[in-house]
Amino acid sequence: MTSSVRPFILFIVSLLLYAAVMVPFTRHMKHKPVEEKLGYIPEASTFQYLCADQKTFISSALLMKVIMYFGGLTDKQFEKTVAAIPDYRGMSNIIHTALKLDPYNMDGYYFAQSFLTWEVKQYAIANKLLEYGMKYRTWDWYLPFFAGFNYSYFLKDYGKAAEFYKRAGELSGQELHFSLAGRYMQESGQTELAIAYLTMMAQGEKNQAVKKNYQIRLKAFKEVSRIEKARDAYRASRGQLPVTLETLIGKGLIAPAPVDPYGGTFYLEPDGKVSTTSKFAFGGRK
Amino acid sequence: MKDVLLITLKGIFRDRIFQGIMALAGLIVFIPSAASLSMRQVTELSITLSLSTISFIMLLLSVFLGATSMWKDIERRYTFSVVSLPISRTSYVFGKFFGIALFLVLTAFVLGCAAMISIKVSSMGYPPARPVEWGLIMAAIVFDAFKYILLVGVAMLLSAVSTSFFLPVFGTVSIFLVGTITQQVYDYLHTPASEKVVSAIVKNAALVLYYLLPNLQSFDLKVYAIYSIKPSLGGVLTTFCYGGIYTAVLLLASSLLFGRREMK
Repeated sequence: MTSSVRPFILFIVSLLLYAAVMVPFTRHMKHKPVEEKLGYIPEASTFQYLCADQKTFISSALLMKVIMYFGGLTDKQFEKTVAAIPDYRGMSNIIHTALKLDPYNMDGYYFAQSFLTWEVKQYAIANKLLEYGMKYRTWDWYLPFFAGFNYSYFLKDYGKAAEFYKRAGELSGQELHFSLAGRYMQESGQTELAIAYLTMMAQGEKNQAVKKNYQIRLKAFKEVSRIEKARDAYRASRGQLPVTLETLIGKGLIAPAPVDPYGGTFYLEPDGKVSTTSKFAFGGRK
Repeated sequence: MKDVLLITLKGIFRDRIFQGIMALAGLIVFIPSAASLSMRQVTELSITLSLSTISFIMLLLSVFLGATSMWKDIERRYTFSVVSLPISRTSYVFGKFFGIALFLVLTAFVLGCAAMISIKVSSMGYPPARPVEWGLIMAAIVFDAFKYILLVGVAMLLSAVSTSFFLPVFGTVSIFLVGTITQQVYDYLHTPASEKVVSAIVKNAALVLYYLLPNLQSFDLKVYAIYSIKPSLGGVLTTFCYGGIYTAVLLLASSLLFGRREMK
């Protein structure tokens, strides 16, 4: 073997070794625990000193990381390959840090609104974040619109809701927001309003994982709306609330039988409220 | 000085640095597809990524060109032939500085054009909530270039007294990092909370450093460009004057120190 051939052979061998190690390496990275993928981010007050003049970029990168983490988990939930619940606390911490670095970043507010409310029911945290964002994004009607929805639908604070809807209307100039401001002064048709809200959110969404999430929730609420209509028809004709959902199905007031897309079972509470064993979340069934 | 400037510029092109930048600028082509991952602000993300890429490339250029240019000349003993020519050492320092500064301006122009095409592509596909302010994007790039030209001045000052490239490279990077946070430290020191935890000596030392070190935060107009927010004109003009005067001080100090330096 000549001395000029030997390095060539060694180079080929090294390439083969590289190809051999890539297979287990890629498998390892693919199956890394999700918690490791989300990682830990220091507090914004410390972290901002390390970002130099790249705060807006790092903020976007952090938000992208959370969105991709959530997207990956959501896909697995849909495929039913994993029952893990996302690390919402970790996601919230990273989003808060990202928004401290760049308080103008709309992706952060939008994404936080989507999971802090529906998924983890942290309405106060969501509203605090939205009100923080309103100080910076003074032109944006979405933030008061979200806050208005949270106050009315989740917190039943109709005075506050009307205040925020009015603000959204002033910024957007849309009649819809002004009419919502009036409508939220009284508690009525909550499910229909949630359907209107979710339809609007799903239509404007381009991230497939988040869109899918909205669509599933929308489907569930449409089923709730069907049950409510059947319940109201029963009450109108009999003068009393039905005891169970099966009564409504048996009387042919609702057909086909409602299906919870989260895998739970719908039922009627003693006061007639429609609930589900899934609590409108994957893995929420007890 | 003009000859040194041209030689410096030619040297940079001879080292194929411009080709390297062009290869990096290729990254800008992929920005619209990367930005499309954003949920609600595709164009804004496109502007963020473009400005960050330009800023990062110019940081590398200012640190490495500014910190190694004079050191390389001394190491290769080019300076011996230069100092024997009928040009002053001041002209040599100024020529070097303006050669690198001109290259940074050229880089900012080329990358800026590529970035604006990328941003235009993104904004056509996903119109932003607020119209893109092209003037603000240009201002952000110009002020970024200005910031890194000032940093070249820092690198030249350190090169004028150093015998290796370690001090200029690491010193410039450190001053860059510190320069981006001096304002935050200053603001913190003027809060009631700091009075309880920061002693008077530390506070005074920090204030001396605040006035001594460059304040690079004021050159960062990225947020204004990304979200189409109009900055205060007075603040921008003050920053411009501050940058010009600070760079002049750095250059004059560099030429004074280099003039007294013993060449062996």
